[in-house]
Amino acid sequence: MARFLVRNLFSMFVTMFLVSLVLFFLLEVAGGDVTVRLLGVFATPEQRESLRRQLGLDAPAWQRYADWLIGSDWRAQQLSPYPLTTAPNPQTGEQEWWAEVDGALTRWRMVEGELLAIQRTPDGREVTSPASVTWTTDETGAEVFWGVDTRNNLVKWVRGSDLEVLVLSKAGVRSERGGPQQYIPLRKGIVRGDAGMSLQTNRPVSATIFSRAANSLILAAAAFVLVMPLALFFGVLAGVNEGKPLDRIISITGLGFTATPEFVVGVFLILIFGIWLRWLPATAVFLTGDAIFRDPKILVLPVLTLMAAEFGYVARITRASMVEVMQSPYIRTAFIKGLPRRRIIFRHALRNALMAPITVVMLQINWLIGGVIVVEVLFGIPGLGSYIYDAAIFGDFNAVAAAAMLTVLIAVLTRLIGDMLYTYLNPRIRFA
Amino acid sequence: MNERIHPLVLQATDKLRQGRITRREFLRYATLLGVSVGTAYALSACAPAAAPTAPTAGEAAPAAGAAPGAIVRGGVLRKGMLVQQVDHPARLSWIEGANAVRLVNEYLTVTGPDNITRPYLLERWEASDDVQTWTLYLRKGIKFNNGDDLTADDVLFSFSQWLDPAVGSSMLGLLSYLDGMDSVEKVDDYTIRLHLTSPNIGVPEHLFHYPAVILHRDFQGDWVKQPVGTGAFTLVEYLEGERAAFKARPDYWRMGEDGRPLPYLDEIVFVNLDKDASVAAMQSGQIDTFFKPRPSDFLALKDNPELQVKSVATANCFLVRMRVDMEPWNDNRVRTALKKCQDRQKILDFSYNGEGILSIDAHFSPVHPAYAERPIPPYDPEGARALLEEYAAEKGIQLPLKVTLATKNDLSEPEIAQTLKELAAPAGFDITLDITEPNGYWDRWTEVPLGITIWAHRPLDTMVPPLAYTADADGNPVPWNETRWVDPEFVEKLRKAELTLDVEARREIIGELEDIMQERGPIGNSYWTNEWEIIRKEFQNVVAHPSNFDFYYEVWKQA
Repeated sequence: MARFLVRNLFSMFVTMFLVSLVLFFLLEVAGGDVTVRLLGVFATPEQRESLRRQLGLDAPAWQRYADWLIGSDWRAQQLSPYPLTTAPNPQTGEQEWWAEVDGALTRWRMVEGELLAIQRTPDGREVTSPASVTWTTDETGAEVFWGVDTRNNLVKWVRGSDLEVLVLSKAGVRSERGGPQQYIPLRKGIVRGDAGMSLQTNRPVSATIFSRAANSLILAAAAFVLVMPLALFFGVLAGVNEGKPLDRIISITGLGFTATPEFVVGVFLILIFGIWLRWLPATAVFLTGDAIFRDPKILVLPVLTLMAAEFGYVARITRASMVEVMQSPYIRTAFIKGLPRRRIIFRHALRNALMAPITVVMLQINWLIGGVIVVEVLFGIPGLGSYIYDAAIFGDFNAVAAAAMLTVLIAVLTRLIGDMLYTYLNPRIRFA
Repeated sequence: MNERIHPLVLQATDKLRQGRITRREFLRYATLLGVSVGTAYALSACAPAAAPTAPTAGEAAPAAGAAPGAIVRGGVLRKGMLVQQVDHPARLSWIEGANAVRLVNEYLTVTGPDNITRPYLLERWEASDDVQTWTLYLRKGIKFNNGDDLTADDVLFSFSQWLDPAVGSSMLGLLSYLDGMDSVEKVDDYTIRLHLTSPNIGVPEHLFHYPAVILHRDFQGDWVKQPVGTGAFTLVEYLEGERAAFKARPDYWRMGEDGRPLPYLDEIVFVNLDKDASVAAMQSGQIDTFFKPRPSDFLALKDNPELQVKSVATANCFLVRMRVDMEPWNDNRVRTALKKCQDRQKILDFSYNGEGILSIDAHFSPVHPAYAERPIPPYDPEGARALLEEYAAEKGIQLPLKVTLATKNDLSEPEIAQTLKELAAPAGFDITLDITEPNGYWDRWTEVPLGITIWAHRPLDTMVPPLAYTADADGNPVPWNETRWVDPEFVEKLRKAELTLDVEARREIIGELEDIMQERGPIGNSYWTNEWEIIRKEFQNVVAHPSNFDFYYEVWKQA
């Protein structure tokens, strides 16, 4: 079992690595120009180019992939004269990058050619004073200094340069003489749990993604926990009653639900229960972040919609599998031996008949979490599916990548659980 | 009456007396030039032709009179509206974002649903006789929600943000008559003087353009992190794409009818819902109102017994706009041909359920004061075909002329596009539709050769054309000039209109502008839309604003 687990975990990491490569490649090829989004359609090409530099988009693709995966701080550290470190912002709690100068957290910014040092005092205040840093002379003879700016970049400042650069300040884009010439956005990389900043919200991706994922997980879990036992039960019931009226009723009902798209089922449920009868909330309006717990009723219709889509699919697979097993020679032998029907079904048939449905069921978990965008949009649930969609439309690559990796992780983990269930149900796999 | 009255106001009083302008037009101009609403009503009352009873003048938007003592405090208003990314309010380019910001930050002036502009954070304003120097008197005793007093420094800071090209505010184009901060003078702590490089009568209205909220002098550029303003609510949380919550502030400067500070409501929550989810949530009672109902939403909800519908005529329009610097739209015959292909009534019926008023092909609406009446052009496919044949013969090409019409899959644009495609086919146009989701169109709205763009209502006739049909000092079309149409004669007359207070003289100029646009302009415009505010019946004092601006400070909820 241990070997089995190790092998599976190893293949899980390989899968995730390959997926991340493919994902990065796809975003690279398909991603639009995010600078247009951020600066608006009236921005000049120079402004866009400047922003691209500040976002680190001017670096080669492999470099950005490496930064995204394992972080950029190690290579930034080689350039910075001071050790780089992170500290939480006292107001928002978000991690910020600082340089440690003689034990004091320090950042720099340049105002009209003068470099100013911002130091954080132990009580959390920030004190600005003219910077006393050692400028070094680079190969072109310019005086340069590498320091951390207020937007979490390691920046190469050049003193006395008359090259004009456009700087994205909080108040917009302004041009500055001298000043920042090169940017390395500081990040720890996704393997160390830093998904970077979301361009859409201007906050760390991790600040939003987990609450979104939690909403999706709760929705998916509720649907899963309710529909799977039902579907398996009715599937088995239909399977052992093959060809009888009960089988026909279950099969046709299941087929009907599955064949009807979710948005149709959802709209009918909204109309009937939300608007005509007014028994249940028609949409999942999140007036507060914990709305699911304050008012679980808002989940009923979305969960029912998901159940309708899932039920028929799983029930039919289970039925087919059951029918097949019931016709196999060893079951016939059991009947001939005179074992009671109940015992044959529960002790001998069921375990083997569940093999196929387990695969399907495990695949469904992933769909339930990342792919329920139709249901999320229909009911207005702020979930992971709509998050990925919005981020993709915006071109918010950090958010798309993080959300996609999260769904991949869930997919791979559920597969692992599925494999473990298999080995429990069928020992032959364990020893293969 | 010890306030100084602008001579043009006195002239206008004469005109009102002679019945040459309506009382409404008079009020607009009197208040525009700094006469308080009260005085303006008093002056207008001197005129014999005045309306039966003058409504009481209020400082702010007129509220539907509630019996004193009837007002109930407390309650939550839940609204379905996209919660968009907001950073610098000066850069706001969406009304949804502005509706969130306006709960926390306020404007120097306010243009009410009646299209009359009044002082707001200002106590009053004064215009010089040549309308070139405007003095703004700031109201005293207003505090920001961080405890600081509102002073001229905050106003100066806000102007500096609007006028800084680096910030990228659409105010910059609107305030083209200011030469940077050199034109903005601080007289004392509560007085600001604007020295216009060219006279303009629209200053008070421009100060209510939606990015023009007054910011705190220490504002750093991110409103979500620093929601400091003088407004009646404070920001509780702002989660883009999810929701935004605001709660009443106890020490707001305006008093309610019960003598205590506004607002009456305790809390306002915006929930990020698309329109379909909003309609369902309205019907099941989960939200109280939602942003900008579409015509189909209006139809779905108008007969619901739990809801009230307030409707208002506007200058909102869907322009079929053509880039005059691109083939084939650089030829006026092709532009005119496409304009002739509009069966305006049919387009209005198909795309907006007939809820609007028909328009000529000019960007001036009948709700504007100086609008000059012109006949609505008929549907004329034969005339259009003749023009196109002439063009095709000259170019040596075959009809039908293949063109692509780009727009977004949103309010009514797909229906307009579809209808126009059918209507234009007999004239020799072969229109391919390129309809993308809204953001996809906003990415390229100024770039496509032929598109349908929605333009929002502005209260004054001279407000939109400078944004859309002029060039900057270097001769480059201004940022929102999506058609690149800069007609010297049009621009010259427009500049004249911007200085002309006299409504009749002005109407004459606007009439000429309308004729130029109809003759060689870059737009087809079938109709002006109605807007609605649909809200639960418990909510009182609700007004529909032509710009879909929320006025929730005085709304209260029946227990």
